[in-house]
Amino acid sequence: MSTAPPGSGDPDTATGSDEPQSPGPDDPGAALGPILVCRRWVDLRPSVDPLTGAVGNDPRTSGASAADDAALEWALQAAEAWGTSVVAVTVGPPGSQAVLRDALAAGAARAIQVDLGSSGDAASVAAEITAVARALTARMVLCGDMGVDRGSGAVPALVAAAMGARQALGLVDLAIDPTEPGVVTGWRRLDGGRRQHLRAQAPFVASVEGVSTRLRRASLVGVLRSGGAPIEVVVPAGPTGGRVPSWMPASTGPGRPRTHVVDGPNPHEPAWRRVILLTGAGTDRPALRVVHAEPVDAAHQLIAALADWGEWE
Amino acid sequence: MTAAGATRTAAEAARAAGTPPGPPTAAPAASAAATGLVPAGDFDAVVVGAGPAGSAAALVLARSGKRVCLLERGPYPGSKNMYGGVVYPRILDGLLLDWWEDAPVQRWVTRRATMTLTDDQALTIDFRTESWGRPPYNGATALRPEFDAWLAAKAVDAGAVLVTSTTATGLLRDRPGGAVTGVSTDRPDGDLRAGIVVACDGVNSFLAKQAGLHGPVDPANYTLGAKEVLAVPARTIEERFGLGPDQGADFEIIGCTGAIPGGGFLYTNRDSLAIGVVLHLPALATAGVRPEELIAGLKAHPAVAPLVAGGELVEYSAHLIPEGGYDMMPALAGAGILVAGDAAAMCLAAGIWLEGVNFAIASGMAAGEAAAAALAAGDVSERGLAGYRRRLQDSFVLQDHRRLRHAPHLLLSERVQQRYPQLACDIVEDLFTVTNPEPKPGMRRLVRRQVTASGVRLRDLAADTWRALRTFG
Ligand SMILES: Cc1cc2nc3c(=O)[nH]c(=O)nc-3n(C[C@H](O)[C@H](O)[C@H](O)COP(=O)(O)OP(=O)(O)OC[C@H]3O[C@@H](n4cnc5c(N)ncnc54)[C@H](O)[C@@H]3O)c2cc1C
Repeated sequence: MSTAPPGSGDPDTATGSDEPQSPGPDDPGAALGPILVCRRWVDLRPSVDPLTGAVGNDPRTSGASAADDAALEWALQAAEAWGTSVVAVTVGPPGSQAVLRDALAAGAARAIQVDLGSSGDAASVAAEITAVARALTARMVLCGDMGVDRGSGAVPALVAAAMGARQALGLVDLAIDPTEPGVVTGWRRLDGGRRQHLRAQAPFVASVEGVSTRLRRASLVGVLRSGGAPIEVVVPAGPTGGRVPSWMPASTGPGRPRTHVVDGPNPHEPAWRRVILLTGAGTDRPALRVVHAEPVDAAHQLIAALADWGEWE
Repeated sequence: MTAAGATRTAAEAARAAGTPPGPPTAAPAASAAATGLVPAGDFDAVVVGAGPAGSAAALVLARSGKRVCLLERGPYPGSKNMYGGVVYPRILDGLLLDWWEDAPVQRWVTRRATMTLTDDQALTIDFRTESWGRPPYNGATALRPEFDAWLAAKAVDAGAVLVTSTTATGLLRDRPGGAVTGVSTDRPDGDLRAGIVVACDGVNSFLAKQAGLHGPVDPANYTLGAKEVLAVPARTIEERFGLGPDQGADFEIIGCTGAIPGGGFLYTNRDSLAIGVVLHLPALATAGVRPEELIAGLKAHPAVAPLVAGGELVEYSAHLIPEGGYDMMPALAGAGILVAGDAAAMCLAAGIWLEGVNFAIASGMAAGEAAAAALAAGDVSERGLAGYRRRLQDSFVLQDHRRLRHAPHLLLSERVQQRYPQLACDIVEDLFTVTNPEPKPGMRRLVRRQVTASGVRLRDLAADTWRALRTFG
């Protein structure tokens, strides 16, 4: 893997399926399929009861996050560039249709609400979105990077995994080339102010940060028409999670390594020595090594390094 | 498409919608909205502003079968609106059956008090009645984001098309200086044509000004209202104000704005208090005092402090009030346009009465009726719209305003604001101060002594009493 500032060097290939893609030259839009854009209805100004800590939600202050709006804008730009269309999907209660109407007003062609009740965990939501993508033969999915209500950002990754699609997550910028239908290049943050330059070819799932762009202002005609436009409602087969593939994690909470006992320094050592042993102060460390490698090779090298340090069995 | 069963997959749902699963027709994204049902074409009427006036106008128009678009610049009706806190919704009796059953009311006002304050005195006339806590009720505290959204939803239920986050930026005319034929908005392709425009865009109505209906703006006709909302537990409110669970209190206050003519208010919501001041605009501009300082002073007053103690500030807002009443009203109609609510200075601000919402609703209803009648007659000229003024003249809106037209001048005068509160408090203090071994003074002597001490001339007192009787009598 390489790190490069925007615009410099060759982009990495986003991870995921390697199946070859060659959009038909005559009808690129039809060959590409629609672009599926995921929108989540969330309270942008939730209230918190100071006594109980209960979070109160209000439909009037709910809508799509800046990241979801950015995803919609990129989807619309890509659809315009490649001659295809945008289908907006939301997984949520009936109130969430509001974010679909916003998408229709801005230029989406269709809108689908998967009625999963008030909430679903990331795996269930991803399973529903994947089902919609399959039904539409959509091979390009755009999402916001993570929910503003402390979302984990797992949904796009899970959708990509379920679709066998490449994933380009957490992008801060995107480039869409009209001459390369089905290919996006994007940039995402790395530590130390660096940027990773990615290139993803359909099938892909890309998630973008809110800073990446601003959603266009819908025309008045668009707004008026979106008010009465039909929204397709899907009611999932079973209760939440009924369609979650077995391999998907049941929970997407943070991974917590199990604790294990680490022997302390010998209590008979002098105090200064024990401090050094505990903190590692003043000891030699292996020199930092920057590795330039293709993703698969990079993964092997990482594992080898971890094994060297005794962190990988 | 709506959900018909609980077991459909996306593919089945797509099939049921008549759209085969698979790629939808590849249409350019920009034209995709063309699949919608609502005609993008013109409306019979555009109502600008989804405050109480606008929603009432849109509701009446929609009920009369007109295609009406209700434009609101905020993300939802009420989102940008503030007021003190009490609505008098009996005007809705004729519009919404049993409105109180689903109106978003915080508390029914069963206690009204008028407080006269000096620096360290308070004289309160306090009235309460249980009958205001039963249908058909009298006044209620309500939060504008809830109340305005509720009323706008009634208009939408009746068929009005609500468009939010959209600001009307100007008037469209059939020719320069000619009849109004719609509005331009801040959206791309944002012109909206209509047979008639009803401007309910609030106190600073740019549309009414652009239509040439307003004369020159005189800041002396305006006050600035500023308020804080303080979170206080419901039980505490009920204990402090002596209220039952659904009951509310409304305190109007004079003598709390220092050298600036104005007044104050304190209202009880379910679990918050609204406390604020209303300040004469030109005096505020020259006083070098900020409104929040005056609110802080009001909250610290010994008669008020125990009522608001411990309240946590959750909101601060400020807004203009068209205080001038009848004498500042614009022309109410022009060719293709009507003006209602605060846009037409319909707010009644007459001391113990600060009623804007009910006047806005009533004028909005009258505008809706007049617009519908003019559209039906095919005449939206100024003459064709003259029925609007007639309707208002026949209702409390212009009758109350005309009767109370001198109230703003009287109430904002220096004597009423500064001297009489002090005088009244001093008289009462004298009355109840027991100065034994001296005997009680006679009432007449006591009043004369205090009037002399206050520096108020008897001639002025008599003249003001006469003016007050004529104004309010
Ligand atoms: C501090 C204060 C206390 C008050 N207390 C009370 C009280 O206790 N009781 C009472 O009855 N009245 C009270 N009033 C008066 C009352 O608030 C108003 O009279 C009433 O709100 C007027 O209603 P309206 O619909 O005419 O205007 P508004 O309520 O101002 O509504 C105007 C609407 O138009 C929208 N708008 C404006 N311009 C545009 C545009 N260009 N395009 C699209 N939309 C636009 C606004 O966002 C708003 O929603 C108070 C006012 C203030 C300021």
